[in-house]
Amino acid sequence: MEQTFFPELKTPTVKISDKDFETLRDYIYNLCGIYFHASKKYFLESRICRRMEATKVKSHAEYYQYIRNSITGSGELRHLLDEITTNETCFFRNGPQLAALENKILPDIVETKSKMGFRKLRIWSAGSSSGEEAYTLAMILLEKRNTLLKDWIIEIVGTDINETVIAQAKEGIYGSYSVRNTPDYYRRKYFKTESSERFILAPEVKKLVNFSLLNLYDDNKMLFMKSFDLIFCANVLIYFDVASKSKVVQHFYNNLQPYGYFFVGQSESLHGVNDKFKTIHFPGGFAYHK
Amino acid sequence: MSDSVLMNNARAMVDAISELPTIPHVATKVIELLDKPDVELDEVADMILTDQVLAARVIRMVNSPFYKPAHEIKSVKRALIYLGFRHIRELAFTCSFIDVFQGKDGAFDIRTFWEHSFGVGIVAKIIAQRFRYPDTEKAYLVGIVHDIGEVLLSYYRRTEFEQLLASIKGKSYRMVEAEREFFGTSHSEIGHCIAQKWNFPADYCEVIALHHAPEEAIIDPILVSIVNLADLFCSVRQLDYGSQSWITFNLADERSWSILKNYAPHLADFDVERFCYELDDRVPEIQDLVQSIFQGVIAE
Repeated sequence: MEQTFFPELKTPTVKISDKDFETLRDYIYNLCGIYFHASKKYFLESRICRRMEATKVKSHAEYYQYIRNSITGSGELRHLLDEITTNETCFFRNGPQLAALENKILPDIVETKSKMGFRKLRIWSAGSSSGEEAYTLAMILLEKRNTLLKDWIIEIVGTDINETVIAQAKEGIYGSYSVRNTPDYYRRKYFKTESSERFILAPEVKKLVNFSLLNLYDDNKMLFMKSFDLIFCANVLIYFDVASKSKVVQHFYNNLQPYGYFFVGQSESLHGVNDKFKTIHFPGGFAYHK
Repeated sequence: MSDSVLMNNARAMVDAISELPTIPHVATKVIELLDKPDVELDEVADMILTDQVLAARVIRMVNSPFYKPAHEIKSVKRALIYLGFRHIRELAFTCSFIDVFQGKDGAFDIRTFWEHSFGVGIVAKIIAQRFRYPDTEKAYLVGIVHDIGEVLLSYYRRTEFEQLLASIKGKSYRMVEAEREFFGTSHSEIGHCIAQKWNFPADYCEVIALHHAPEEAIIDPILVSIVNLADLFCSVRQLDYGSQSWITFNLADERSWSILKNYAPHLADFDVERFCYELDDRVPEIQDLVQSIFQGVIAE
């Protein structure tokens, strides 16, 4: 299980009961498709506590009513999701997903494409934020350029709706929090450590990824995001309502090659959103296959 | 390789083991009790009390987080009343069965074997409940014993088994296929031979023999499919023999899933992602349960 480290947290003042935790967990899961594991109870508790302070709500039951209220609810849900997912991005964040990529998915795709005479790999990190996911993939693929991916062309595209994070991604300079999960081998090889708080990504990694502005709701632009082998979209769909989620996932489905895979974030679920994808299970996670 | 060749190889391997463990008398008695309709609570309590080690283990297990008693339970009789009648038999069975493989660490730690086995038992029971299979207790018990053949390979053929594990490390491989290539037989056939030697009921034998081929089951294909599915889920949710093998599957392609969907059409829209996430939450409980059993073994 992933360990989270939030040094800025205050000790929560209101303990959440098991029943209130389950009620909120089920509500968030049904609405957003993200599941809160029992091990994250205290994390959720502290984040809700902040929101209770901000909204001047006294109890968890009252907060649940507040978030369900049609006037206050949608705005508050976004605030809560922000609290929950902020600072979640880091390099090598989803270990099980990366293991699946290396053990099975990448070798399978390379084999399939080789048979068809193709030697180009196209990957999309949708909702790329400050670029950690896209660059993690770039590093993993760079490690294979003399073996599995010898003479292959690699294209990685990162898109986000937020210009500021796109600029950060292009800059490629990170703090210690972003590299906390990065294995030493990769840290030494692909980062220049300027100080304990400043890590500069190697140019060879940066040049593998192209970042651009994109709104996933923009149907016209989504139509042009064609022919990807792998699409990653972590902690983005949770903000969408079910109808928008279905529409965006359908775009992802259309934009994938017939042998392609689609990945969501840890603890996310596409249940009830799209019935065309097949769910592939692997240790510690899922991938969706065409 | 044909089924008969696989089975002959398994028989030869099991026969070559001079000190094959025998199933404890109490476990045999419990299996007999499972089929007795009018068994009394006192009868079971007395049977457990004839074996003090077993009695102590029952008390330790009933106090583990898995069973969540509100207050500490200190006597066998209290444990039996707390658990209810059907649970008593499953608990007595599992407690006595644990002795069979005590100390049989081989290519893998015996504790990881039990974590997987209890995991499959518990998940099989949950699936049985969801699919409205009538005998959820049986699903739990066969889940626990489904992989007994694996212990023999790990313990009695340790060096070769370690070579096999090294050869598939980091690759997508189903253990049963790797074993058939490597040993000319697998834990399914070996387990089947042991189950026959120990006079397990026919439906138990079938699950042990066919939990990787549920489509071949005749006696109880639903039960075999439940265990197959529980095994797959445990293999991808941290109850996987300490990650010795790396497996991947597509539920839609699994025969067991088709068999179960035909049996219980109301579950066609089963939220499998959520089921897996809930299973993740139960892993610590299952590890605690196994831990509580092992405290008993170490104390002896």
